[in-house]
Amino acid sequence: MKFRAKINDVGCLNHFTRVVNTITKLTKTCVVRLTVDNIFFILSGKVANGGVSMWCELLQVNFFDEYQLEGVSEDANEICLEVNPENLSRALKTAQNAKSVKIKLTKKHCPCLTLAAELPSLSSISRIVTHDIPVDVIPRRLWHDFKEPSMPDFDVSIYLPPLKTMKSVVDRMKNLSNYLVVEANLSGEMNLKIETDLVSVTTHFKDLGNPPWGASQSQSQSRDVEAMAHARVDIRKLQQFLMGQQVNPTKSMCNIVDKRIIHLILLQEDVSLQYFIPAVV
Amino acid sequence: MIQYLCLICNCVEQMLDGGEVTVEESKCLQANAFIQAEIFQEFTLKEDVVGFQVNLTVLLDCLTIFGGSTVPGVSTALRMCYNGYGYPLTLFLEEGGVVTVCKINTQEPEEPLDFDFCSTNVTNKVILQSDSLKEAFSELDMTSEILQLTMSPSHPYFRLSTFGNSGNAHYDYPKDSDMMELFQCTKTQTNRYKMSLLKPSTKALALSCKVSVRTDTRGFLSLQYLVRNDDGQICFVEYYCCPDEEVDEE
Amino acid sequence: MDCVATGGNVKVLAKAIHSLSRIGEELYLEPTEDGLTLRAVNSSRSAFACFLMSPLFFQRYQAPPDHAFRCKMPIKSVQTVFRSLSSLERSVEKCRIEMNTEKCRLRITLHCKHGLLKTHNLSFQDCENLQAVFDKDNCPNVLRAQPRLWVDTVLHFPPSLEEVSVSVSSDRVWLRNHVEDDADSSKAMMTELCLSSEEFDHFAIGTQTTITFCLKELRGLLVFAETAGLPVSMYFDEPGSPVVLNVTDSVLEANFVLATLSEEAHQRNHNNNKADGPQTELPPDDFMCDDIDSYLIAMETSDLAGPSYEPPPQTSSTNRKSRLISEEEDEEVEEDSEERPPNKKFCSLFFGSVLPASPQPSNQTIQSQEVLASDSEDERPSE
Repeated sequence: MKFRAKINDVGCLNHFTRVVNTITKLTKTCVVRLTVDNIFFILSGKVANGGVSMWCELLQVNFFDEYQLEGVSEDANEICLEVNPENLSRALKTAQNAKSVKIKLTKKHCPCLTLAAELPSLSSISRIVTHDIPVDVIPRRLWHDFKEPSMPDFDVSIYLPPLKTMKSVVDRMKNLSNYLVVEANLSGEMNLKIETDLVSVTTHFKDLGNPPWGASQSQSQSRDVEAMAHARVDIRKLQQFLMGQQVNPTKSMCNIVDKRIIHLILLQEDVSLQYFIPAVV
Repeated sequence: MIQYLCLICNCVEQMLDGGEVTVEESKCLQANAFIQAEIFQEFTLKEDVVGFQVNLTVLLDCLTIFGGSTVPGVSTALRMCYNGYGYPLTLFLEEGGVVTVCKINTQEPEEPLDFDFCSTNVTNKVILQSDSLKEAFSELDMTSEILQLTMSPSHPYFRLSTFGNSGNAHYDYPKDSDMMELFQCTKTQTNRYKMSLLKPSTKALALSCKVSVRTDTRGFLSLQYLVRNDDGQICFVEYYCCPDEEVDEE
Repeated sequence: MDCVATGGNVKVLAKAIHSLSRIGEELYLEPTEDGLTLRAVNSSRSAFACFLMSPLFFQRYQAPPDHAFRCKMPIKSVQTVFRSLSSLERSVEKCRIEMNTEKCRLRITLHCKHGLLKTHNLSFQDCENLQAVFDKDNCPNVLRAQPRLWVDTVLHFPPSLEEVSVSVSSDRVWLRNHVEDDADSSKAMMTELCLSSEEFDHFAIGTQTTITFCLKELRGLLVFAETAGLPVSMYFDEPGSPVVLNVTDSVLEANFVLATLSEEAHQRNHNNNKADGPQTELPPDDFMCDDIDSYLIAMETSDLAGPSYEPPPQTSSTNRKSRLISEEEDEEVEEDSEERPPNKKFCSLFFGSVLPASPQPSNQTIQSQEVLASDSEDERPSE
């Protein structure tokens, strides 16, 4: 079992840092799954984290100049680690101006992801900073928890408005209520609603467009385009998702399974992030 | 003809951060904001006076639902409606084609306190540029329960004093300071005001460009903050505060 | 005492007070002919800081006629006076400090723009003499660098980190976070930074060693050094001896004296966290030797997976002591003993030497002071 990767390009380093920072905002702990082609950051929906789950996928070749992986075995050429993303984020932060950053799986006082950065210095000799981030190696028998979640059979799929606008609306609504209703239809309309004893607030977005999912969207084909599908969610979970956004997605969308779940998807060229928030009654 | 819409901010509890202040104390302080009708492009009132009470923090969250528009060139349009007694205050906000509708429940207004602060009874009055007071207010020793205000035709002219755990502090503004726009003091007057009542007014101070400080024969304090918006329109935020206790005049 | 500071020196004074506030709760003030001394000590007496502003630092400086005069006051109240550095810079033209010994009042007057006058009357108490025992000039190891280098170095460590270990060889310095050897330490991220001697203005290593001390006070001094733009020197000897951080220019001197972890305590920690010794050179690129199959096997086959090191023998804390502490002095700091947290690993540096501010201290006490405090700048004025 070996893993070693290296980033030489500042742009790639910043990009990778932003992805990790986004993950850090979303969860205290997550699973990093390393395969030959991809790196995944995974949070599986446990009751402990409010049923929220996350799946972030990136293509290693777009980030790393060197990437070597020897998995657990030939038939399972992967490594699964449980990591505190905050540590990774902090380590990357101190490596911001680095000439190069190496990340490797090491055996220190415990299994670690060791991040070593070569930093510019006042002399001819670089400063070297090394961070040993403790990880738990996840045994193969537990891997089944970390498979890609299947796309829910949604009622409505809609493109999201600019995340910044959505964030300020959700931030204010969070001050007023603990729960928020997300509703959307197949005519490109989406509403965010709260209602309390003191106040009711509804923000209406229109002309958002509905992504073409092809034949797979069995349920929604026969659906009345004006009919709203809705889900009531914990407003903090949605806020967390919006707060964490450091990547600038080229496409962002939301799938709603009426009264069950909202499924948020952010797509960038080489990164995708999926986030699932269960509905509450 | 009503020239001004008067939002009666009886919700002093909210302004005082977290409702720690008892009703008793809130009767020592009143805050009013006068907004000129010209601030609105359209202003229609079908009755002579309309009064109602809303939760101020809720109103603020609603007004800033789009984040308070810090992006240049993007502004939020607002339409505010009230259909009369028993109806909610309805706000329509629009920014970049996105519309938010807020319905804020209203309550019957409490009878506003009459501080009976009459300009003919004013003994001392100064107008200061707010910047000079902002600094003082940000540095005030909060371990002092009171803020003592001395206004006098002779030295120390205009003095703010605190008496805290570790000692006392005096901030003296000479009458000929270029921060002093007007100085009309007829009689030496020293009064104490509860710090907890005055501190919230610093929010208005931060927004203002000038402040008028007046005391009347009873030692009641009037602070009027002049707030100028980006378009040059002005509004006033006014605080009345009653003195904490009698202090022998020097 | 009556002194006046003007212009940029007001800000320097303010920064010195902010630095001291990182150390202790109280500010010890002593005006002498040599200048105004500002001191602070932490509650466990393992860190001591001292600023001496020479008479030339001030536009006007008048020491009190009574040489033995000393006082202390809550540092928070002094900080209040100098709270906003930006407003100090913008508006304060002159700062006057007067001491009224009869009324026990320290009066600080800030003369600001537009004629605004801010007068603070602070009450103070008489106090003991506060003096750390240190001798930086005989330290075998000295590192001096511009404040920027220290700031950049410290930035690699999280603000929550309490202690840092510094290891030196003939041409390198390593800093790493020090983690308590309790159950949580295995989950802590370990950070190590390696710097070349070439980055330092002065690099003299007499003994290759590793010392561990609190980061908070170093950060405190850096707040000051960065504003003043002055290089910071670090003087140190072996583990257990204090490390001295020094900033000097023509009109002021600052010394921060910090206890270091004693050898045994340090060794214990070191065993747990790092297999390689402090003097080893840069670790080789060890990709080939760091595969972790053994862990995986352990995890797949046994529930008792875990790192396989032997827990090192526990050393009783009483065995660890600073060579500098003397017991008779310890007794004298009893007035503080209630608020002292248990002194688990860092030992009191001092002295503590509680001299009541009497005009004629006994000769004997003076003697013991001189023996222990050999740094001339910080000696009490002799009679």
